[in-house]
Amino acid sequence: MPRTQTDSPLLDATQAAFLVGPVAINAASHDADRMPSITRAYGCRVAADRSEVVVFLSTARSVAVLRDLAADAPIAVVFSRPLTHATLQLKGTRPRIQPLAPGDREIMRAYAAAFSMEIIALGHAHGFSHALMAPAGDAAVAVAFHPEAVFDQTPGPNAGMRLGPKP
Amino acid sequence: MTLTLRALRRCFEGAVPASIATCAPDGMPNVAKLSHVHYVDDGHVALSYQFFNKTRENILHNTRARVEVLDPVSAAQYTLSLEYLRTETEGPMFESMKARLAAIASHTGMSKVFCLLGSDVYRVLNIEAAPGDAALDSSPRAELLSGLRACVDELSGCADLAHLLDTLLQGLERHWDIRHAMLLMLDPDGKRLYTVASRGYAESGVGSEVRMGEGIVGVVASARTPIRIGYAVQEYRYSQAARQSFAASADGNTLETEIPFPGLLETGSQLAVPLLLAGRLSGVLYVESPLEQRFTYEDEDAMAVLASQLALHIDFLARGAEHPVDPEPSAGAPVVSARGVAVTIRHYAADHSVFVDNDYLIKGVAGAIFWKLLREQVETGRVEFTNRELRLDASLKLPDITDNLDARLILLQRRLAERCPYLALEKTGRGRFRLNVGRPPRLVEATAG
Repeated sequence: MPRTQTDSPLLDATQAAFLVGPVAINAASHDADRMPSITRAYGCRVAADRSEVVVFLSTARSVAVLRDLAADAPIAVVFSRPLTHATLQLKGTRPRIQPLAPGDREIMRAYAAAFSMEIIALGHAHGFSHALMAPAGDAAVAVAFHPEAVFDQTPGPNAGMRLGPKP
Repeated sequence: MTLTLRALRRCFEGAVPASIATCAPDGMPNVAKLSHVHYVDDGHVALSYQFFNKTRENILHNTRARVEVLDPVSAAQYTLSLEYLRTETEGPMFESMKARLAAIASHTGMSKVFCLLGSDVYRVLNIEAAPGDAALDSSPRAELLSGLRACVDELSGCADLAHLLDTLLQGLERHWDIRHAMLLMLDPDGKRLYTVASRGYAESGVGSEVRMGEGIVGVVASARTPIRIGYAVQEYRYSQAARQSFAASADGNTLETEIPFPGLLETGSQLAVPLLLAGRLSGVLYVESPLEQRFTYEDEDAMAVLASQLALHIDFLARGAEHPVDPEPSAGAPVVSARGVAVTIRHYAADHSVFVDNDYLIKGVAGAIFWKLLREQVETGRVEFTNRELRLDASLKLPDITDNLDARLILLQRRLAERCPYLALEKTGRGRFRLNVGRPPRLVEATAG
């Protein structure tokens, strides 16, 4: 029996697992003049029912994005795995900035370690890999949003294809 | 301190993907990964336009974008505020970006898939370093400039092409610690390049050919622009991801069936620069290293200057070599006498390929020259020859001065030394040489089939 729109999460289980794996994460928004802002995120948490995604931003490094999100601008987040270049982009219109919840810092640390290992295995220097993930220890906030659109951005002819919801 | 784009050049090596944020007319942001950001000048960057995607759709409406780049060494993050200006579909910058993309694609069998539709040029409005991330040191490497001077000085002392080539390759190693290098000359048919000198390889590869547009060397030759690839594995993987994606799509039949050129699989860094003079391409200088990130923008700058000096010297020496200094052949030098077992030398007129005791030696112009010299020697006993008589011999159908005859003779000389040292071409003066045949030759004009 087909599920209705409301009880069907946009993300499937495979996509949800991908988001919390060793992926590079970048979040973007824009200001009142539609100037885009961009920052890096250090880890991700997906709600058990897959209806909400949370990414962690360094407050010092994400001043512009956090200012734009605080002004109710929408969010776009891209997740890309260095090993395979598999890439997904999520978009949401009402992101919320929250303090880190218990356990979030542990998620950030585990993410930083896993991502460093992944890129070291690809040949990046230890120094570079650890420096890249060092901000996972910064003062941080959690940005939560309900994905309203999912796009495949893996390089190739299908890059940009909307995976959900289907128009 | 104000950050300059030039100081960030190593962020544009393509080692670490960059990210771009744009904004749609409806106010929805978009964020995407970029395989590489191209440094244009101190005020501009360019991004490759390969597929029409959301980023491109957005910048055509709202020209402003933000790009995050990473220093591949320190991991420092920089955010560039950009304004889209225009898309170029021809010209030097487009060719340079296209060549770089084509070289990556060629090595992974993606030539028909990765296609640069345009170079999107952006003005850089502002550069911001992430808090705590130090600015890069932009001072050039002093030893690069002094090494360039030493290399150029040594070239200036060379009076013939063979000496020039050896001096060049030795100089690269001595002054820049570049241990793997080769020089390829353009065949006058304009369709291929042939290796005339190399250093740092188990097999010299002299005489090997590369087609125009094939691999990094062929693409440099056809696009006439330097190409530098410092992260072979990274770029290879980038292509592999798209290839898998394409193989799974309906367009899978556009993939090449040929085995890709294997060069990139074993090398960490490659740099190839064209030899250009008066708008004419004469060859390509190629260097590589097992280390990744071995060659920087500054190495490319230095190598481009060296290549332009090299092109001048090669042209100058080629012109001089057409005019022998002495009007008469030198006398008195001992001639090697042929003795021992006869050697069978077979010539196929169709492509001027020459086989020595059934082993392939050479073909093309160099093959035709060798055959002429052997016949002349067998028929008249002559051992001394001049470049000029070869040039004037209509049967050889040598092109005009644009074909470097001396390079052909060096190629022939080196192939003989490697394959059959009892046949030797010996230079006896400017524009003149001697053919020493150490075993009695038996010449066979073969017919194809």
